[in-house]
Amino acid sequence: MGSTRQTVELGPPEGAASLGASEPRPTPGPATRPAAHRLLPTGLAGPLFVVLLLAVWETLSQLKLVNVLLFPPVSTILARFLTLWTDNTFPSNLLPTLTRMLLGYALAAGLAIPLGTLMGFWHGVYDRLEPLLEFLRPLPPVAVLPALVLFLGIGDEMKVAIVLFGCFWPILLNTVDGVRGVHPTIVEVALMYQFTTARILRSVVLPAALPQIMAGLRTGLAIALIVAIVSEMIGATQGLGFFIVLAQRGFRIADMYAGIVLLAIVGYLLNRGFLLIEAHLMAWHRAQMSPGGEG
Amino acid sequence: MSTRIQGLLVIVAILAAWEAAAWASLVNPAFLPPPSSILLAWKEIVASGELIQHVTTTMRVWVQGFALATLLGVSLGLLMGLFRPLAAALATTVELLRPMPSVAIIPIAIVTFGLEDPMKRFVTMYAATWPILINTLYGVRSVDPVLIDSARTFRFSEPRRALKVILPAASPYIATGLRLGAGIALILVVTAELVASRDGLGYFVAQSQLSYRIPDMYAGIFSIAVVGYLLNLAFVSAENRALGWHRRLASRQ
Repeated sequence: MGSTRQTVELGPPEGAASLGASEPRPTPGPATRPAAHRLLPTGLAGPLFVVLLLAVWETLSQLKLVNVLLFPPVSTILARFLTLWTDNTFPSNLLPTLTRMLLGYALAAGLAIPLGTLMGFWHGVYDRLEPLLEFLRPLPPVAVLPALVLFLGIGDEMKVAIVLFGCFWPILLNTVDGVRGVHPTIVEVALMYQFTTARILRSVVLPAALPQIMAGLRTGLAIALIVAIVSEMIGATQGLGFFIVLAQRGFRIADMYAGIVLLAIVGYLLNRGFLLIEAHLMAWHRAQMSPGGEG
Repeated sequence: MSTRIQGLLVIVAILAAWEAAAWASLVNPAFLPPPSSILLAWKEIVASGELIQHVTTTMRVWVQGFALATLLGVSLGLLMGLFRPLAAALATTVELLRPMPSVAIIPIAIVTFGLEDPMKRFVTMYAATWPILINTLYGVRSVDPVLIDSARTFRFSEPRRALKVILPAASPYIATGLRLGAGIALILVVTAELVASRDGLGYFVAQSQLSYRIPDMYAGIFSIAVVGYLLNLAFVSAENRALGWHRRLASRQ
């Protein structure tokens, strides 16, 4: 995962937003971190250690030193994984999970980025909504699930809606924060050139706020997957979360682990994919921001 | 009139509109009862002691899970930051496990620990450890090398250097990790209670919905929001108070 960027930044930017934009921005640490900084070393030791862990698990399980029912051998889990993948069980459960998750995520981004931009640009709006947002933001999205089930049942609509609700907040708050952090001089220069407000927002403010928006989108993506899985755990007929819970209740433990492995792979790949897109966008961002200086 | 007061007025306005909409049957009051009846339900579950009992359960698990996560995350982050071989050995494990949605650990915890507190504690600890670990590691890595060299010049022993120099210098990052971990811990406690449990706020909300006590359900959701809000508030103000020295130092530079 080459996780330097995303491991570091998954935390702090969200934190920056939650401190409340009305306070003076704190100077220390998290806000002013160096960009490229290898947090975790790369090398052979890491993969070797994972192999070692798996080998220990396999051995303990084969020698029946741990409860085999609860900790089936790694080889069994792997075999089940391959079977479940080739007999189409995994693909047919993965597809609905990903579809609902990405739909909810896209809707959240489509709503939160424009709304956050407007709220950040016209401070007055944001300042007046802040007490409400401060109260709603720390609410775990899963707590709203039972209420959503009332309105939407346990079908796709509910699952898309809860994903939307869950990742709306980090995207919104980071966008607001990013837009508010745009240097006023840039906006004033644009005004001097008699740009229209729409053009200022689109071609000046949004690009300048991009890093922070990306941070929100990254946090949102992690939350989207979590919430999609939980929504399937409480009621579904297909989906990866449903599969895992069903396997657990039926005490098909190797299947349960195989499902969790698949989920881990999905989480990993989503993360990687996001980082690739982000790297592209940020390269563009730097190219846009550097010539002519920042104001 | 300050914007803060206007902001509170916005909340009042929304509640009033909601109340009116419910009375005018613009929304189905069976699904979305007016705030007044939610407040009544809330007063009732407070008076009967039911709410306190569930809040206590939720907070007990939260405190235990979060304390374990703090212990694990800070010590592991510190050690990984100080000893490169350890970081190298654990790097892949961390990179593989961290992006996995933490709720996936719930079924494993259920088959291993059952449905009671140990399961919830484990799940909470697991999820909250990541942000604490990563931020601690990051904090340790960003300590000014000059600080470490000075400590070396004064012949601080290695443990003393770690505890008296590196840990305080990394504390703003650790504080961020703790605040994020606290929020995630609450999400996981509530999710575990919702998915599989017999007590706690998440269970109360799910149970109220299943038995169609809808005002109770909203009162439960409201209580979770209050808990989340107060926790966040506590962490932000503790952070501001505890790290005031750091901010003053940083702004002087």
